[in-house]
Amino acid sequence: MAATTTMTAKPLAAGADLLRIVHINEEIKRVVGVSVKINIMALNAIFLAKRAGTAALGFGVLSNELRVFSQDLRSCMESLNGLIHACVNQVSIGLQGIRKGRLLSEAARLAPQQASITRILRGHEQEIERRAQRLGALRRQLKGALEDVFQMVELGGVLAKSAKIEAAYGQGFAASLAQVSGEFDGVVEEISGSLESLRRSAFFTGNRENWRG
Amino acid sequence: MKTTKTIFQDGNHKWVAIVRDPQKPNYLIDTNEYLVTHGGKGLVLDPGGAEIFPAVFSALSAEFDPSALAGIFASHQDPDVCSSLALWLEFNPSMRCYISWMWSGFIPHFGGSAETFLPIPDEGMDISLEGLMLKAIPAHYLHSSGNFNLYDKVAKVLFSGDVGAALLPSGADGLFVENFDAHIRHAEGFHKRWMGSNEAKRRWCERISQMDVNMLCPQHGAIYRGEDVQRFINWFDELQVGIVSA
Repeated sequence: MAATTTMTAKPLAAGADLLRIVHINEEIKRVVGVSVKINIMALNAIFLAKRAGTAALGFGVLSNELRVFSQDLRSCMESLNGLIHACVNQVSIGLQGIRKGRLLSEAARLAPQQASITRILRGHEQEIERRAQRLGALRRQLKGALEDVFQMVELGGVLAKSAKIEAAYGQGFAASLAQVSGEFDGVVEEISGSLESLRRSAFFTGNRENWRG
Repeated sequence: MKTTKTIFQDGNHKWVAIVRDPQKPNYLIDTNEYLVTHGGKGLVLDPGGAEIFPAVFSALSAEFDPSALAGIFASHQDPDVCSSLALWLEFNPSMRCYISWMWSGFIPHFGGSAETFLPIPDEGMDISLEGLMLKAIPAHYLHSSGNFNLYDKVAKVLFSGDVGAALLPSGADGLFVENFDAHIRHAEGFHKRWMGSNEAKRRWCERISQMDVNMLCPQHGAIYRGEDVQRFINWFDELQVGIVSA
């Protein structure tokens, strides 16, 4: 009975992992979308700072920095695609392996006289273990990469808040600059929220007693 | 677990039918698998879907050492025919799979490598099993567009894949057709719908009529033997196929 429960739990856990990866990927795509939005906003802010002249020099510099930040963020998030693809690949192969293992185990139970099946099953289990270790390594790599992005976004938050301060010195343009910098702050907060939800994803924190990796 | 029935034997030359699994879930179509052995080597015909692999494997291995299987003959590409391929290859990675050239690029999705597949040309081919010459007989469009039967001239046995198949009601689990008229009712709907070409059917009937066949062994249902073989060919020849009411 316990063996049956484990056999059922394994594909369920792997299937849940696949769904979690899909959610992570969707969140990454959302952050990429927001980074494009920051880039356009920063361009507009640069033009606005130029119109404001010397009163918005600092604001102009920060807008330019925010533009660079958005481009770095975008390329950083896009570079996660390779890791996501590798995770999907490992989980998919793992799911196939679990199914194959279930069928081979059942064959071994029905044909106990076949000594060769024990050897094949052992080899199969070792392969699943290797795959699980590879997935574990990818999981850690992805988590590390997301932590790097998180730090980058914290810097983006500092830039947005500094832009808010600089906006106060914008004289006649102060109101427009304050509005733009407020929008910067809002979108960077939005990214932080996305990254926080990624950090909390059960893909990184879930119990993997039945589906190693 | 499935049961095995030897339907032909002459020394080490055997045909074994692997049939009927009482434990099989009803949502899976019932299939017959066949094992041909000669000179210590074996060929499995339509080894079945992955989900029924444990039942087929255990039944087969009670009769024959699975590591001595030289190959698989797949009549066509359907999952109930050969989605278990990867599992069989675990036991003998050098096993070859004979299948229509049309499907040799599709079936690797079930498993195997470039070396696994031996594509059968449209006109068919001889397949040697330790000196026993078997013949892949064209049965295209019955039902698959790239479809083969396997004929053993010595045993006079024709493995006919989906031709002759019947979807039997529960309880009707005899290995051989005992009452042709009663049996063929369970084959009629299947043939009308699954067989797509009257022209292809006519050619098949003509071809098989000229062969010496004692047993016609389909992938589903019961085996036709003796006079029931010609009775089936005549019935099939008359049947209008490629019909759907919608």
